[in-house]
Parts: sequence; structure tokens; C-alpha cells
Amino acid sequence: MTDTRLRQALAESLDEVLEKMFFVRSLGELAGPAAGPVTAAHLTFEGDPPGSLTLRMTPAAARSVAADFLGEEEAELSPRQIGEVVCELANMICGSVLSRVERNTTFRLSAPRLVASGEEGEPPGEPGVTDGVPAVPVNATTYATEIGSGAITVIFNTETPAWSTAEKSEC
Amino acid sequence: MAYRVLIVDDSPAMRAFVRRVMELSGFELSACFEASNGQEALDLLRREWVDAILTDVNMPVVDGEEFLRRLGHDELLRSIPALVISTDATESRIARMMSLGARGYVTKPFLPEALRRELEGTLGVPCD
Repeated sequence: MTDTRLRQALAESLDEVLEKMFFVRSLGELAGPAAGPVTAAHLTFEGDPPGSLTLRMTPAAARSVAADFLGEEEAELSPRQIGEVVCELANMICGSVLSRVERNTTFRLSAPRLVASGEEGEPPGEPGVTDGVPAVPVNATTYATEIGSGAITVIFNTETPAWSTAEKSEC
Repeated sequence: MAYRVLIVDDSPAMRAFVRRVMELSGFELSACFEASNGQEALDLLRREWVDAILTDVNMPVVDGEEFLRRLGHDELLRSIPALVISTDATESRIARMMSLGARGYVTKPFLPEALRRELEGTLGVPCD
């Protein structure tokens, strides 16, 4: 699968998840990831091929989508609640992308972990925040979009190029 | 009629979302139990009766497949209808879960009305 097609899969998955589960519309692709602190979740998947997905959000976007998902006021949300929603968003995007890329392959997704909370004044050692946001692998495919409250970036990486079984049989 | 439902998912956010979607769609709940994996769910089902189970697939300790398998082996619990909610949309997974006794399968992401329709089908009665 070409990088273009994979980016398309990322875009379609992100749009679909945001619209159906969060009732949020993407405002368009961004040229690159937003600068500044981020709330980020990371998960890996086993399958053919194995890989990982990192979801990075500006803290305002994370808080906004968490409020939409949980039906709560933003001011009422705890950092833990926001982190849990960001992790679930990463989980859903990853599952959606894999279903588009490899329709006939069963993948096993790891439990997403929060790798950056993006909250100011967060005490060190906060549960769920481990070693920071993973560096972007050289061969990763990235897609960034803007929503009303901020920016969302998805970084998708496989250890080998993600080919469909149809493409494999043609080689 | 009000229903007793068990939601099984290792994501607290997802459990809260499913519960909220059911309530907002007019599905009347007399009780809503939650479990974070299949083992917790089985332990709970030994104490509480439910009318339906909504379960994820990828969970720690006891995952969704093993959970359905154990439900199917229990003479009493096998009669409780189970609806699977999962990010896995592959045909093989869906077929496997249905063969293990699931009455319905909803893939994430889903619209709230889709969950309600599947839940109605799983229970075999319309929700007013």
C-alpha cells in the first residue's frame, strides 16, 4: 500500500470515528503536527504486519472531545477521564485503519497507554504517563487535522509496508 | 419494560459511553452493571442476573472470545443474549464471535441508533 493510500485510510478513519462517536467534524488537513504540549496515547498491534499508532492532540482538543464523548462539561472532567477518552479514541482509530488496510487479517491491539497528558503543573510519576511521546519513526505515515478546539495528529507505523493480501498475491 | 444490562469493556470511557448511548436512546435500564474483563463479568454473573450482555473482544485476563466460550458452557448463563461491540470488523472475527453464541455484533465507530437497533435485535423485542 502506498503512503498516499495509507494517509487516506488514516484520514477516513479519523473522520468517521470523530463524527460517529464524538459528533465532531474535521475542519481540514493540517500541514504538520501542532507545536506545543500534547496529550498523546500510544498502542501497538500484532498481526501481519505488526506496528503501532500514536495519537497526539492539543490539550484543548483532548478536553473537548472527552467532554463530547462522556457528555460532561469540560470543567468537570478529571485528567484521568480525559486520558481514558484519548486512549479509547486511539484504539478506535487504529482498529478502523487496520480494517481498511487489511480486511482479511485479524489483528490484536494492545491496551492503549497515555504517554503524555499535556496538562500544565502535572506532578511527575502520574499514573499512565510513562516515558513521553514516542519519536516519530522514519517510515511512519502521519496525518494531522484540525477540529474546532485544536489539532489531532495520527502517526501510523508498521514494521513492514502494509500490503493487502490482494496486492501480495499479485507479486 | 426496564432491562438489566451488563457492559464488559476494559475502557472505563467506553463503558460510560455505551451506558450513556443506551439511556439517551430511550432504552430503559433498571440496572446497569460494568466489568472490565471477562473474568470480572463471570464473577458478577454469579451474583446478579442480567437480561443482556454487551461485551468488547480485546480485554485482559479473560477476553471476549473466552468470555463467550465460558458463557456457552454454563447451562444457566448461556441463555443470556450477548452483543459484541468491537473495533475489529474483520469477517473472521465476526464469524467466530457469532459461532460462540453472540446474538449481534456492532463495530466501532457506530452511530447511537445502530447500537440501539442491534440491542433490540439481540433482545428480540423493540424498545419504545
